[in-house]
Amino acid sequence: MKNVKIVIVDDSPFSISILRDILAEKEFEVVGQASSLEETIKVVKETKPDLVTMDMTIPGTDGLECTRAIHKIDANIKVVVVSSMKDDEIVKKAKVNKVAGYVQKPVDPDEIATVINRAMAGDDLLLELQEIYFDVFKESFSNNLNRITKTIPTYGEMGQSNDTENSRGISIVIGIIGKCSGRMILDLSHETAKKLAEAALKREVKNMDECLAMLGEFTNIIGGNACSILNRKNKIFGLRVAPPTIFHGESLKISKSMLRTTSVLGETSFGEMYLNVGFERDEEEWM
Amino acid sequence: MDVKLINPFIEAFLVVMPQIGFNDIKKGKMSLKDKNIKSDGVMINLGIIGDVKGNVLYGMTIENAKTIASKMMMGMSVETLDDMAQSALSELSNMLTANASINFSNMEINTNISTPTLMYGKDFNVQVNVQKVICIEILADGIPIEVNIAFNNYE
Repeated sequence: MKNVKIVIVDDSPFSISILRDILAEKEFEVVGQASSLEETIKVVKETKPDLVTMDMTIPGTDGLECTRAIHKIDANIKVVVVSSMKDDEIVKKAKVNKVAGYVQKPVDPDEIATVINRAMAGDDLLLELQEIYFDVFKESFSNNLNRITKTIPTYGEMGQSNDTENSRGISIVIGIIGKCSGRMILDLSHETAKKLAEAALKREVKNMDECLAMLGEFTNIIGGNACSILNRKNKIFGLRVAPPTIFHGESLKISKSMLRTTSVLGETSFGEMYLNVGFERDEEEWM
Repeated sequence: MDVKLINPFIEAFLVVMPQIGFNDIKKGKMSLKDKNIKSDGVMINLGIIGDVKGNVLYGMTIENAKTIASKMMMGMSVETLDDMAQSALSELSNMLTANASINFSNMEINTNISTPTLMYGKDFNVQVNVQKVICIEILADGIPIEVNIAFNNYE
């Protein structure tokens, strides 16, 4: 991780001195300090820190007003509150003001280092996830298809096009939540779905509902397994899957996504299946 | 029907819709659906995980979706539900659900939300994995938006 530049905002010179020592010991670079709203704005503009540690009680202002002022200068600057007070009400207010972490005084060096690293991990973390996630989902798809039908798919080229995609008839959507959030879609035709369900159940399917239920579970397993593997690679991801939602109809379109997604067309013994997954960075989760 | 689950969404509409130019926000019909939901044209799905787990689906007609998108884009005319309009609606669903999530946290119910997925088409159905779906209709300047709340394991 790159060197993290930090500004300390606190009205007590004693607290600043202690924090400076702790942050230096943990190999962070303290680039400035401030004890009022005006000083905070000035120092942040001058030093362009990555992160600011913020006391809550500052004469003439408070930590939240200073936080808003900092985010007006640059919304990407992370603010970690360092305060002697910590109760639900104040934590809630901090969260509303987009604070990235909360450490109670007296400050424990290991705790503040973890909170700072986690707050800073975001951008690197999304990059790390984006490099590995699609292969993991593809592998999970292959493994689970193989497990339930003893067949293996072949794949076309991976694409990053975010254009509107015409559904083949059935689209199963799974929302993904964690340090990065996202979604996964598996799309296939009714005919493919029926053949897949029959191969999995080793008998004819009774009706459409049975077929959809099987597909929901199949997609859930692919997504769940993939997220577990990703979490094992880096526990900070903390990915979890929401229950599947199944869309089906004749003229269904999968919208262009707000996030960058990756897709691949899997050629299976039952017909083609389209896999699409994408992630974005989520808001800080620290409560 | 647990009103606790509905109020955070209604409050979200009351806060978010005026920010994008809607003045008159009313609560419409409330209904209980089974796991099969018929779409009116546009459905936006967001996964929710935490103390409650499930999905929320915002539904509207394509015509109304275009009207809402147009209003979000400062009255720019929206002839077709193009990329820009879809992106505006996805963003709206994100704002509404994030706001509802904060309202839930005020009730000591912690939730996190996934990114939205927007699906549209003339004639399609949605199946969720819970048996009962609470549906509440919100009228924004007379435009109906359906909020389908499909939560399980809520105690």
